[in-house]
Amino acid sequence: MFKKIFPVIITLFILSSCSSTEEENPVLKDSFDRKGMLTNIADNIIIPAYEDFSSKMALLKTEGNAFIDNPNIANLESLRNSWLTAYKSWQHIEMYNIGKANEILYKFHINIYPVTVTDIDDNIKNGSYDLNSANNHDAQGFPALDYLLFGLDNSDSKIIEKYTIDTNKENFKKYLYDVIAQMSSLTNIVVTDFKEQRNVFVNNTVNTLSGSVNQLVNDYIFYYEKGLRANKIGIPSGIFSSTPLPQKVEAFYNNTVSKELTLEALSAVQNLFEGKHFGKNTKGLGFNDYLITLNRNDLATSISNQFTIAKTAIEKLNNSFSIQINSDNVAMTKAYDELQKNVVLMKVDMIQTFNISVDYVDADGD
Amino acid sequence: MKKVFIILSISSVLFACNSSNENITTIAPNTYKFERNGESTVSFPGQTSRIRMGDELAKAFLKPTEEDISSLAGKFSHEAGENNFKESNLNLSSKNIRSKVAASTDLFSSNTTDSQAIKADFDSWIIGQVNNVFPYWNNNASKGVAGQLQEAGGGPVRWVNAKGLEYDQAFVKGLIGALMTDQILNNYLSKAVLDAGTNITDNNGDVLVSGKNYTNMEHKWDEAFGYMYGNEPNIESPILNVDSYLNKYLNRVEGDADFKGIADDIYNAFKLGRAAIVAKDYITRDDQIAILKEKISEIIGIRAVYYLQVAKATLANDKGTAFHDLSEGFGFIYSLQFTNNPNTNMPYFSKSEVDNFINTLMKEDGFWSVTNKTLDDMATAISAKFNFTLEQAGS
Repeated sequence: MFKKIFPVIITLFILSSCSSTEEENPVLKDSFDRKGMLTNIADNIIIPAYEDFSSKMALLKTEGNAFIDNPNIANLESLRNSWLTAYKSWQHIEMYNIGKANEILYKFHINIYPVTVTDIDDNIKNGSYDLNSANNHDAQGFPALDYLLFGLDNSDSKIIEKYTIDTNKENFKKYLYDVIAQMSSLTNIVVTDFKEQRNVFVNNTVNTLSGSVNQLVNDYIFYYEKGLRANKIGIPSGIFSSTPLPQKVEAFYNNTVSKELTLEALSAVQNLFEGKHFGKNTKGLGFNDYLITLNRNDLATSISNQFTIAKTAIEKLNNSFSIQINSDNVAMTKAYDELQKNVVLMKVDMIQTFNISVDYVDADGD
Repeated sequence: MKKVFIILSISSVLFACNSSNENITTIAPNTYKFERNGESTVSFPGQTSRIRMGDELAKAFLKPTEEDISSLAGKFSHEAGENNFKESNLNLSSKNIRSKVAASTDLFSSNTTDSQAIKADFDSWIIGQVNNVFPYWNNNASKGVAGQLQEAGGGPVRWVNAKGLEYDQAFVKGLIGALMTDQILNNYLSKAVLDAGTNITDNNGDVLVSGKNYTNMEHKWDEAFGYMYGNEPNIESPILNVDSYLNKYLNRVEGDADFKGIADDIYNAFKLGRAAIVAKDYITRDDQIAILKEKISEIIGIRAVYYLQVAKATLANDKGTAFHDLSEGFGFIYSLQFTNNPNTNMPYFSKSEVDNFINTLMKEDGFWSVTNKTLDDMATAISAKFNFTLEQAGS
């Protein structure tokens, strides 16, 4: 990786130092308005998405408390709805691993699936647990709520019974409460921190590993490759194993929304690429504009087109990916292939054009 | 591949012309396939057995309800007929792992003190796993406390001692040096072994080992080959990643774009060297030995640096991942003392240098107290002795 990029850097360095008169400060520069792009992304995409998620989390908390106070079918339904609404909003922010989000491993507390049911069951049985421990990353967040609201038993009335007549009912309620409280408090920390760091973020335009553009692009491609492509489609459809693993789909216990969540995530990554404002149709500077400035209009177009092609492939799938995998897994792997094509375009071509190095290493797998 | 072949051919032509010996040039065969009278001359069942014993032993480290000190030690020091393994033909084998740990002719034939100390390290890791980790299997680990650590984000669970070390990683990665690398580089590719006794005259005269279809020298070379490829389903086209040891990590290093081609380099050197023995062309053979010493040592060095570097990214807030990386790194660092620098014919790092590294990693609270600076300093010191950079190995 380094080898390939090194000659490019040397070449650019020579070119830029030849043309530059400021020899004492040979900073790599291109003509693109990095600060303008970062400002658009911070003010019109990240902060509105964070605020949207905060308000959806607040509603989830309210509905959670209502259900805990009065566990009945109607309150369960309301809570489930607010769970889905918040879960969809989450798809727009999982990719941002900046500042506190990175420091506290935010996404690991919100969306690690599949959950480890024995961990959740043990925690409820014991009544004591540390949700800040890495041991419990796979026992909290949306996937834990998925289990607690949809997976505890096979009928709604039986699920209600866990919170009403089960001998452990108080622990069930406590766990539900604690999981939501954990998500809510971590969200406050992350959102507050990003708003405080906003000026630092938009002004940090250097092209080094710690520069905002570099971090953002790395987070973005890592998320696209791992959080979206692998976790949502690749792993459950068996791309990385000898057999398909349909129990590893997102929202497995609800089992009707895995496609909806994936499409939401895909539109989130396309929106960031194109600088599209959160929840609006207006657009500002995005990665595509950066590519166009660097004379790679062709690449910008290819990537946007490929997002659309991948979206079409995903739209053809069953609402439930586990049902899709069991009935016709080829459709899943075809969708995966379309997502994969953009990994190549972004992780190789885009990142070389931006002259950024990848800062994450692929897991060893042992 | 072609380029290497041409260079090697030219060099062997030149050498052969310069020497007063008969003009022999070795043609590189397509694969590691050698026959005499229509029958294969290639044989390394002992190496295959030890690799497979090692694979069972590696898995057994993580079975606290099935294994104890005597069952693990039995897999390590197996005696023919003992039922130490699930794979029944291993139980019949007269081979074992422990007797070949730190047992090469070059490094240990007159240094039994170090050899014994190294064997005792491996014994201590078995004992540590059973006495200091198995009893705390379901506890959460913390500074000074053994138990389990899950990698962040729902990753795998790791079991560590009070200093954060996974004994199984120390053991398995340590064996890559102390068994495979030591036996290949410091034993079977050593002139003291290849050319021992009447090996050269026997090989020149096609005098076969009694009852076998190979000369002694051919067989020694095959035994070296067997520690790298002994578990391959077809040695004529190795697929790699077929064991937990050197074969697996050759595959890992090959997968790093900075080192792509090393798998071909090593395979080609093994087969050309073997062909050179058949052709009685010892100059070409020795050229291949130099290549193998450098490249196989590099696998160890690259992985040692790699794990020290990647651990930094997670050391602050994902101890499970960081300590797993550091435990693998611990084993590869331990293995450095079994490498062989072809320019000096000595290991790239001495035992005392390695002991210093290990003591530095394990001092105070071990991985719980190690700093990024310590890891950087160590990785820099290691890469400085090899022909690769910190950046190449660390990504």
